[in-house]
Amino acid sequence: MTVRSRLVGWALFLVVAAGGIAFAAVLAYAVVSALKPPGEVLSVPLRWWPSQVDWHNFALPFLETPFARYYTNSVFVGVVVTLLNVLTCTLAGYSFSKFSYPGRNVAFVIVLATLMVPLEVIYVPLYSLVYDLGWVNSFAGLIVPAGTSAFGIFLMRQSIDAVPDELLEAARLDGAGVLVSLGRIVVPLVRGPMAALALFIFMMNWDSHLWPLLVASDDEHRTLPVGLAAMQANNLGAAGVPMMMAAAVLAMAPTVLLFLSLQRRFVEGVAMSAGIR
Amino acid sequence: MTVTTTTPTTRRPSPPGRRRPRVSGRNVLGAMLSMPALALFALFAIYPGLRVFYLSLFDYSLTSPPEFVGLDNFTFLAGDPRFHEALLHSLVYTVGTYLPALALALVLAVALSRRMRGAGWVRLLYFLPVATSWVAISVVWRLVLHPDGLLNQTFGLDVDWLTSSAAATWALVIMGIWKETGFFLILYLAGLSRLPGEVYEAAQMDGAGAWQSFWRITFPLLKPITAICSVMGVIRGLQAFSPQVVLTDGAFGTEVVNLFVYKTAFENARMGRASAVAVFMFLVLIAVTMLQLRAFRREDG
Repeated sequence: MTVRSRLVGWALFLVVAAGGIAFAAVLAYAVVSALKPPGEVLSVPLRWWPSQVDWHNFALPFLETPFARYYTNSVFVGVVVTLLNVLTCTLAGYSFSKFSYPGRNVAFVIVLATLMVPLEVIYVPLYSLVYDLGWVNSFAGLIVPAGTSAFGIFLMRQSIDAVPDELLEAARLDGAGVLVSLGRIVVPLVRGPMAALALFIFMMNWDSHLWPLLVASDDEHRTLPVGLAAMQANNLGAAGVPMMMAAAVLAMAPTVLLFLSLQRRFVEGVAMSAGIR
Repeated sequence: MTVTTTTPTTRRPSPPGRRRPRVSGRNVLGAMLSMPALALFALFAIYPGLRVFYLSLFDYSLTSPPEFVGLDNFTFLAGDPRFHEALLHSLVYTVGTYLPALALALVLAVALSRRMRGAGWVRLLYFLPVATSWVAISVVWRLVLHPDGLLNQTFGLDVDWLTSSAAATWALVIMGIWKETGFFLILYLAGLSRLPGEVYEAAQMDGAGAWQSFWRITFPLLKPITAICSVMGVIRGLQAFSPQVVLTDGAFGTEVVNLFVYKTAFENARMGRASAVAVFMFLVLIAVTMLQLRAFRREDG
């Protein structure tokens, strides 16, 4: 490599790195704004660091709004939806991959076809159905319709396809039943994809706004996105800014921390969800 | 010799006859394992997916029984300026956000794919917004976009980002680019890492010739990824909802199609008309997906 090309490479890298810092600056701005006294959040000229760090802002959402309730709801719904998806998708993936029965391929194709139809297209009749079931403002309305995913079934089928049939055949000859083979042989071999699926579903669910807004608009069932949006609508003035920033930071923390600790799985999950890899 | 002559006579008839009854019990059980997922799909995806077409032909408000109106919902929408504006807003938001986000992601992917110290950390900075939720980040951007907020103060601007028709769309576009670039960066990096070694090295070439090698080698090879990314961009663009709700509530030219559906169905109780818009969105999605995949395939061949 010539000196010149190396310099160009470094210059390009510096520009890209500066851009990355600018991207992250938005999040840093949220964190420092959550630590400022209300009078300093919109000070001109902009001051990055507060004159005194005001940790009290992080207590405000819990003291003045049902934030704790929203948070608990989001964790509860997120965990249950994730477990449900891992269960239904692993079972369906195992079924589509390792058994043959009439209608299997048709069912799989129909599942894949639903990938083409986002929630945004079907939520009006879906709401009407959930309304008829009496699930409006209930956890069932939040959880059950989100209990499986086409991407998850596709992912688990692909992953279980890679489990050698000979292993399952040997287990069968040893007298292992269908579910024993799944638990003893298949699951240990597809733990990676199961973890990627769990992470992906949890993060999607944590971000979910439109559906919870429709089926869980009362304070008792509101999840974080719905609750946070309602809090924002009630705190439009500058006085509420530090509390809202603290609430937003707390709302982002779980998925950002999950991402930081499981970055590779997350990246794999996103790439797989788009059909790359 | 003995093996080849004896096996056909003893074994050939037996496997189909002996195997089937023994294995089918397992297969019945195996088939049942797909039932929880299929039942959920049937009830919560396929049934509403079909019913949306049916409802689009009715006047329906949840509380009263649906009344058949033929194509009235569609003819109404064809002449409804608010719907036309929503379409335009969605188009501007989608193209304005996802075209730059894709281009930026592609350039960043090429720049960050080289094995350079620190590249991993820089990637992380761009990935972070992907891990945040739309509503939480909209709350944050409300402050960023405040007249005395981060954006105006950093660049010495004096723009009413969220309270003027001239700027609100672009405020959401800027935020969208910030939020979505990392998502497509992940996809492009995954695509780059799949390329064969020599090509991968060529893609990382520095300095003189880098520009040509990008256009002649890297970009054409990444076309399948670009096709996937642009389809996803259109879908995600049409799905846009949270920033429009939290930052502007659809005012100042930010009522996108999805928000229009929401308001039609749940504020004006016109479920039939909202279904008609959903049907239209569905057809647009299918058409765009077909067109993009075909366009990229043709250029490929």
